[in-house]
Amino acid sequence: MSGPNANGLSQPLLAISAIGKNFGGVAAVSELSMVVQTGSVAGLMGPNGAGKTTLVNLISGLLPSDSGTIRLADVEIQRSPSHVIAELGIARTYQNVRLFSGMTVLEQVMAGCYVRRGTSLWASFLGLPKARAARKAVEIHALELLDRVQLANRAHLLAETLSYGEQRRVEIARALGTSPRLLLLDEPTAGMNAQESNEIGKLVHSLRDGGLTVLIVEHNVQLVKDYCDHVTVMNFGRFLADGTPAECIAHPDVQAAYFGKTTDAERIRTLR
Amino acid sequence: MNAMQGILDFWAAYRSTLAFAIVNSFLALSTYAVLSAGILSFATVTYAAFGGFLGARLVLATGFDPMLTLPAAALAGAVLSYLVALIFLRLESHWMALASLALILITRVIVINIPVVTGGVNGMSVPLPVSLELLAVLIALAALVFWRLSVSWYGIAAQSVREDTAVASSLGIAPRKIQTIAFVISGAVGGLGGMLLAGALQFISPDTYFVNIAFTMIAGVVLGGSYHWTGVIIGAAVFTALPVIAQAIIPEFQDVANGIVLLLIMIFLPRGLVDPLSIRLRKNFQIPVARAIEDPSISKPGVVK
Repeated sequence: MSGPNANGLSQPLLAISAIGKNFGGVAAVSELSMVVQTGSVAGLMGPNGAGKTTLVNLISGLLPSDSGTIRLADVEIQRSPSHVIAELGIARTYQNVRLFSGMTVLEQVMAGCYVRRGTSLWASFLGLPKARAARKAVEIHALELLDRVQLANRAHLLAETLSYGEQRRVEIARALGTSPRLLLLDEPTAGMNAQESNEIGKLVHSLRDGGLTVLIVEHNVQLVKDYCDHVTVMNFGRFLADGTPAECIAHPDVQAAYFGKTTDAERIRTLR
Repeated sequence: MNAMQGILDFWAAYRSTLAFAIVNSFLALSTYAVLSAGILSFATVTYAAFGGFLGARLVLATGFDPMLTLPAAALAGAVLSYLVALIFLRLESHWMALASLALILITRVIVINIPVVTGGVNGMSVPLPVSLELLAVLIALAALVFWRLSVSWYGIAAQSVREDTAVASSLGIAPRKIQTIAFVISGAVGGLGGMLLAGALQFISPDTYFVNIAFTMIAGVVLGGSYHWTGVIIGAAVFTALPVIAQAIIPEFQDVANGIVLLLIMIFLPRGLVDPLSIRLRKNFQIPVARAIEDPSISKPGVVK
C-alpha cells in the first residue's frame, strides 16, 4: 500500500527504528530512526565518519544489524540476506564504483536484471525458445535503462574503458535493472563537477516522477538543497536533525557538526 | 611415402598423450567450474577418486556395462560435491582452499583403508577400455555444456559472484545457490574425469588421485586461462604435452624447460593463454568508437524509438 492514508499523510516506504551497529567497541550507528516517504527523494547528510554508509549497508543487508528494525512497506527486512532484500525491491550503488571487471556495459546492466529475467536457469541453459525470447526482452530493457542514463551508445564497450562519471551512471542503470521500489545512492556525485552533479540530480528527479523512491547519501549541500524533498542528518552514528533541506542546513546542531561550534568561541570570550 | 610414415609415427607416439590431455581437461574443467563462481577448491581430486574407484568396482563386482559407469561416476561425483558444498560454503574463501587440500589427504587415507573397494595400497586394475574416439566425443559434449553455461543466465550470475560477491548479492543473485550449482557441476565433471583417468591408465592406486594431479589441473586452469573454459582445455593440453615433448626433444633439460615455459606465461600472459578481457579490449578499439558515439542507434539493436 502506498499513497496517502486516512490522515492525509503518505505511508513511509522505508521505516527505520532504533537501528544499531557496533564494530568492536565503536558504535557506528546507534538508536537511529528515520523514515523515507513513498515517492520522495530523501537525503542523508552527515560529516565524514557519521555512519551514513554503514546505515546504507544495513538497509541493503550487506551488514547484519545488532538491534532495531528496518521495514520496507510492511515487511521487516533487518534479518534478510542481501539478495532477498534486492528481490523485495531495494537497489543500491556504492561510494566507490564497484562494477564487474571484464563485462561490457550492457552485461553489467543485464546482471542487474537477473531477478527480473523471467526464465529459469535450466531453460536458459538449454536455450529454449521461450528463454531466448525472455532474454531478448531483458536485453532491450537493459538498453532502455542505459538510454535513461544516456549511455546507450556505450552498451558494447567494456565498463572499465569508460570515464569515472560514466561508470557511476552504469552503476545506477545496473541498480535500476532490479526494478527497485527504493534506490539507495551512496554519494552518487563524488568526484563529479557541478554540471555532472546536476545531471545526476535531474536523473533522480525523473526517476522519482516515474514512481521510484530515492534515498541519497550526499555531501554536496547544493545538490541536497536543489533535489531532496526531505533530509535526515546524522553525526557520530546518531540522529541529529531532519526536515526540509533548508531547515536542516539552518539547524544550529547541523551547522555545529559541519563547521564546529561558534558558541564555544563566544563562551570563551565571555569568560575572559 | 616418408611423410605419411612420419605422420603415422607421430600419431603412434603421441596418441596416448592426446588421450591424457583430454582426461586432464576434464579435471581442469572441474576446477574451473568452481573457480568461475569465485571458489578456489582442489576437491576435484576427491571427486575423481570417488568416480574412478566406484566405476572400476562396479564393473569388476557386478559386471556393470562399462559405458554406464561413465554417467554413474558423474552422478557419484555430483552427489559427493553437493555434500562437500554444504560444508565448504560456510567457510571463507582461503579456508575453503585449505579445507579442500585437507580433503585430498583424507581421501587418500580412506582409499588406503577400504581395500575391499579400492584394493588398498595395492590398487586395482581397471577393465574399462577408453578409446580416443570416446574421449573426443565426451570432451566435445563437455565443451558444449560449458559453452551453454557461459552464455546462459547462470554464466552472468557466476561471473558477477566471482567478480564481487557482495555486489552480486545486492543485485538479487543468491551467491550460495550459484556456488552450490558450481560445486555440483565440478563434482559431475570431476567424477567423470576420474573414471576416464582410471580407464586410460588401466590401473589405479591411492597415488593416482593425489596432489600430483592437483598440480597439473591448477597449472592448466590458471596458466591456460581461468576466465574462459576454452583456456582451461588448451591449458590442460599444453601442460600434459609439455613434459612429454620436452622429454623427447631435450631429455636432459626437461624440468628446466617446463619451468621456463611456466615462467614465460606468468610474466607475459598473467591472465593465462586465453584471456577474454584482452581479446575484448582489442575488439573495443576495433569498433569505430567515434562513430558509435555520434550515432546512438548503432549499438542498440531492437530498440524502436
